[in-house]
Amino acid sequence: MERQKQQRISEYTNLKIDENKPESFNRVMKEENSFAVFEDGTEGIYYTEGKMSDDEGFKKADDNLALERPYKFSLETGKRSRDLTKDILTGEQIKQKSAEILDYLNARHPDFIIKEGEFSFYRQTMSMTNSLGLDYKDTDGYTSMYFSFKHKDSKDITDGYISMQKREFDINKFISHADNILDAFCNKVELPDDIILQDTYYGYLSEFYKYLDAEDIALGTSLFAGKLGQQVFDERFSLRHDVSDKKAWTSPFFDGEGVTLDGDSCTYIENGVILKGYADKRIADKYGVPHTGSAVRVLSDIPQNGGVNFHIEQSEKSARELLDGRLTVYPIMASGGGFNEKGDYVMPIQTGLLCDGEKFIGRLPEFTIAGNLFEMFGSGFIGVTKDETALGDKSILMKMKLSK
Amino acid sequence: MYDFPQGVYSDVRIERDDKASILIKNNEMLHNNEVSSVGAIIRVYDGKMWYSSVTNDLDDIQHQLDDLAALADKNDDIYNDPTVKNYQVNKDSVLKYDGDTDIRRVTRSMRERLVREYLKNCSADGIEEVKTTTAVYSQTHKIKEFYSSKGAEITQDYQNCEFGMVFEVIVDGITTRARRFFSTDSFDKLKDRSDEIIAERNRYIDYAHNAVDVEPGDYVCVLAPVVTAMFTHESFGHKSEADFMLSDKALRDEWVIGKKVGSDLVSICDSGDMPNHGYIAYDDEGTLPKPTWLIKNGVLTGRLHDSKSAAVLDEELTGNSRAQDFHHLPIVRMTNTYMQGGDTPFSEMIKDIEDGIYVYDVNYGTGNSTFTMQPSLCYRIRNGKICEPVRANVVTGSVFRTLFDIDALGDDFELINTFMCGKGGQGIEVSAGGPTIRVRSLTVN
Repeated sequence: MERQKQQRISEYTNLKIDENKPESFNRVMKEENSFAVFEDGTEGIYYTEGKMSDDEGFKKADDNLALERPYKFSLETGKRSRDLTKDILTGEQIKQKSAEILDYLNARHPDFIIKEGEFSFYRQTMSMTNSLGLDYKDTDGYTSMYFSFKHKDSKDITDGYISMQKREFDINKFISHADNILDAFCNKVELPDDIILQDTYYGYLSEFYKYLDAEDIALGTSLFAGKLGQQVFDERFSLRHDVSDKKAWTSPFFDGEGVTLDGDSCTYIENGVILKGYADKRIADKYGVPHTGSAVRVLSDIPQNGGVNFHIEQSEKSARELLDGRLTVYPIMASGGGFNEKGDYVMPIQTGLLCDGEKFIGRLPEFTIAGNLFEMFGSGFIGVTKDETALGDKSILMKMKLSK
Repeated sequence: MYDFPQGVYSDVRIERDDKASILIKNNEMLHNNEVSSVGAIIRVYDGKMWYSSVTNDLDDIQHQLDDLAALADKNDDIYNDPTVKNYQVNKDSVLKYDGDTDIRRVTRSMRERLVREYLKNCSADGIEEVKTTTAVYSQTHKIKEFYSSKGAEITQDYQNCEFGMVFEVIVDGITTRARRFFSTDSFDKLKDRSDEIIAERNRYIDYAHNAVDVEPGDYVCVLAPVVTAMFTHESFGHKSEADFMLSDKALRDEWVIGKKVGSDLVSICDSGDMPNHGYIAYDDEGTLPKPTWLIKNGVLTGRLHDSKSAAVLDEELTGNSRAQDFHHLPIVRMTNTYMQGGDTPFSEMIKDIEDGIYVYDVNYGTGNSTFTMQPSLCYRIRNGKICEPVRANVVTGSVFRTLFDIDALGDDFELINTFMCGKGGQGIEVSAGGPTIRVRSLTVN
């Protein structure tokens, strides 16, 4: 009988802000333990939040073998440890830095209310060990600031959100970002004739998580079914799962089955061509497709398919270079729409800013954008910027249409 | 119980959660687990700031209390602080689900039997378009204890179970997801509803074959009860949460009690003591909930409070301070929120509509001045008749105008118990309800 233990320790400290003032100072320490035993193609699992001795945990996992949860695959081996944490902020530092930011913003932008937000530090250590000698440990952490704001004369609950999340948090960069957004908000401008969307790209990848599931591709329920090996997106568009140092935050280098990848990455779409779907060991075995190290870390049950961390290959050009004089729209508050089953996309933009690629220029009237998955990442795809000037993060640039 | 530190207000909320879930997709059991957790959140308040800490070690609570109190400034007048003065001191134990109704008595084999029975009764074998069939069951049981330095001692429980099925239907290479979920506080109430699942599956198969893309524009819209429920929650419910307006003069002026905010037909209520998905015996500050009429006959009559917002706005407590679980601080949240029903039959409501949209079901919604809803299934209404299904991506409107644009309320009131509401990074169980309603104009894309 083999044994495997996974442990996640999360440390979260924040100062919450409410209506321009510090509201609360909070800390959470959370330890989660998952014990698993393997015998004759079944897995007994016991999960608990809080401390538990190995003896007790494996005893409970042993008892759960009776539940006959199926797992017929070999356990992994290997030893590796990494700690990507840069800043480690104490509670006092969190209070002090958030006070600095609040004091500055309240003085510099008296016409705005900082509705709610927080300045926080998060650190997570994920480890996996087993009786075959596997010993993996991955620690990462980041500092984050976000707040929602509204103009004092606005009748909305919220006019927008400002956020930044970094391993090494630069207060001056955050303040400069917030200044630019709040200043631009006060300057009303008209929509440009051609709509080029500029935004961080993570929110637009939902359909790739959905449709690159190798099981759905095999069953034909994915919009990408029958398109493997075909170029269906722009040749500048490449999509990778990437948990290397630079790309992934709090995404361990091993998946939920202890699998690691060469270079900590796996390419799914290369130059617009869909190469493969993601598959954990079960899905790879069931459908005879490549195994991509994509098991979700399920601490209370057998692993599930879907543990991918997608990143779009960034361009070697800055936003200014990619735009070549054209202006963009940045949806600072957009909600309610999304993609439908055909891949058509509609999104009402409640608050949008006009941008020259690097700086926000003014606030746009409410409008609605429309597109289609294959156009947005195909003929409408301009690129992902190499610089983070406008958003404090890389931007995606895509041509969109206006809708009603 | 605890040696509460002097010179500060403090409280302790302990939660014991027991959860179980099953997920079967195409006859493969992907989830079948039971998870228990115990933890506490400890809060200390000095009149200026809150200090909180979360622990899984219940033996460490006293230490956490003392540690947080050391961070705070001592305030000998803390019990005259308006927020603290507002806290009720209730001593009560409301264990509604003790004994035979306790969902923890439902064994793993009972859960599996329920799911297998539905899979058998609702089998899509032989229906060519259905490529996957997924059945999902989940149950939650919570016992919460609350102790405050003012003397509150409350124990309460909560439970919920949910079953649903999802069918992936492929027509012309497009996958449509048909779904039907039920949520209740009683395992027995989840049984014998196969007919509803099958009817919904067949409705979506028809949609997959016949839906046409909507022509974007403004339409007279008829919203089914589940859509009205979403509209009520998103378009107005969130604006009734008083924490957004405490130092915001523009919003306080806009949402002044007594103002006409909708048509005479519109009355909206929130009530935590109803036995539905948003049920609470007490809120997470120890306040007894009560029905709060937010709008009565189109006039703004109330809003939802925690102790702080009630103190700042000098209004009565409503019992709406809620936290997702012991990892989170309570904030102002809805509970069971509904638009009162009317007496117009559905056929009467649509008979005069020449060209409109019937929004039958909805995925999710958001609520700002412009509220949005993403429909999952719509039909075109022509000359008073429900016609072909239409594929629409988003329905939007202005809350300031739409509440006035409601001109008919149906006689088919429903309370929907499957909603989860997100706010401030916390997801919480709520119910929302209403009848079919007719709205003179909404934008459909």
